[in-house]
Amino acid sequence: MVLSQALFTLIVWQAGAGGLIPAPSRILTAFGHFLSNRLLIDNLLASLLLTLQAMLYSIAITLLIGYGSVIPFVNSIARFVVKCRYLTLTGLIFIFTLLTRDGNQLKISLLVFGIVPFFTTSFLSMLVRIPRQEFELCQTLGFSRWESLYEVVVLGKADQVVEIVRQNFAIAWMMITMVEGLSMSEGGIGALLIKYNKYNDLASVIALQGVIFGVGLCCDYLLGALRHWLFPYTKKTV
Amino acid sequence: MTTYTKKEVLLQAKGLSQTYDGKCILRDINFSIRDIVRPGLQQGQVVSLVGRSGIGKTQLFRILSGLQKPAAGSISIRERKPTANTNGSIDIYTERAVQPGDMGVIFQNYYQFGWRTVQQSLLLAARHNPLLKGTEEETIDRYAGQFELSAVLHRYPPQLSGGQQQRVSIIQQLLKGSDFLLLDEPFSGLDVCVLDKVVELLLQVSLSDEMKTLIIVSHDIATAVAISDTVFIMGKEEGQEGSTLVREIDLMERDLAWKKDVRSEKAFLDTIKEIKSFL
Repeated sequence: MVLSQALFTLIVWQAGAGGLIPAPSRILTAFGHFLSNRLLIDNLLASLLLTLQAMLYSIAITLLIGYGSVIPFVNSIARFVVKCRYLTLTGLIFIFTLLTRDGNQLKISLLVFGIVPFFTTSFLSMLVRIPRQEFELCQTLGFSRWESLYEVVVLGKADQVVEIVRQNFAIAWMMITMVEGLSMSEGGIGALLIKYNKYNDLASVIALQGVIFGVGLCCDYLLGALRHWLFPYTKKTV
Repeated sequence: MTTYTKKEVLLQAKGLSQTYDGKCILRDINFSIRDIVRPGLQQGQVVSLVGRSGIGKTQLFRILSGLQKPAAGSISIRERKPTANTNGSIDIYTERAVQPGDMGVIFQNYYQFGWRTVQQSLLLAARHNPLLKGTEEETIDRYAGQFELSAVLHRYPPQLSGGQQQRVSIIQQLLKGSDFLLLDEPFSGLDVCVLDKVVELLLQVSLSDEMKTLIIVSHDIATAVAISDTVFIMGKEEGQEGSTLVREIDLMERDLAWKKDVRSEKAFLDTIKEIKSFL
């Protein structure tokens, strides 16, 4: 069904294409051109590596803020971080440029600053939703406070942490093209996109958009599969 | 008539009351549970707290389990501590206020950790029982065999049927080693066949140790009476705010306790009628 719908759309698009909007055949040719040299692969790997680095830093910071939010001092910081979702990065680029040493640091810092508020929001809302009964079961089994916290929050919610990472990976992947435009010397799919946009090569731009979309979906699937593999109970029901 | 004697007080509730949003829910609840001794038999106690829905049974259940503090009053239990001496091990008894973890609690929905297999969950409980040190896995295997759960030890809670989940909850609390077992509505939502099995299972648990005391909170009067030796009725008194215990019925005195086919006896039916009149 989906395949026939996609095919139908492509046929209509191909038949109706003209002017500035490239036809699917032209986009396919541009995609073929990218595959014929290492340009796409190298830039894609640079972007994936940068995203991975930013994700790792963001996860570490989020876990610190999230688990630390039981302490009143950290709790107020956590609540502020949640509000930071409404801060735009564009106005902060110059400050970050002053605070960082090189382009790579600048990109990672911006990504982390952009991702952490969303991660933290999801993480805290997950903590709030923990049923009281989970702690009560620990109490009835004679667990200490720390044992209960480890069992219910750390161990019991580990699968949901991976789910939060999966859901928020989209934000990181979406931001990558924006931050890569700030320091283009290291390449990356975002830098490539800006370059082809500048030349008005729309066929290549759409081909790159397709690649970004496809890689995003692949990563989403892989993170989901990783979650099921690490935590088999997430896919087991009666 | 079955011979029995009532010995030491195992649990005592004194002047319990609870409020919610300034409104009195439970008022001046007093009762005690004594050790029942039957000559030549290992016999625990089965006590039921019956009352209409919304009367405050769950509140009392939470207070008894130590999970919730009462607005006033106290609950004390007789604690057994096995102590080693030159002749082996003897039990030393002390009386103290109930705390969370003192009672084995089986929640109405048989809640279990979703991220633990049955065996892992049972092991968690067994490891908190010093008496099982070194024999945790053997004990789990023994209980699993006894409760027909050997085949599902490596499954997760959502993969179990309601009956299996209930049995896992019971074993988990038994492994923890508490003498008291609190059960919230253990008969609700069960079909007739499963209900009989649950009754059988609870009787089996009550007979497992002299000190084992089952406190069943239920609105299924007939089943609760059929399984118990004592029934406490919760209700409201005219002109008074909040629920309290309006009556205690000693089923042993009426020769209705520990009988398999008690439901067909006239005295049983009369007792049910009597309980209903208090609700």
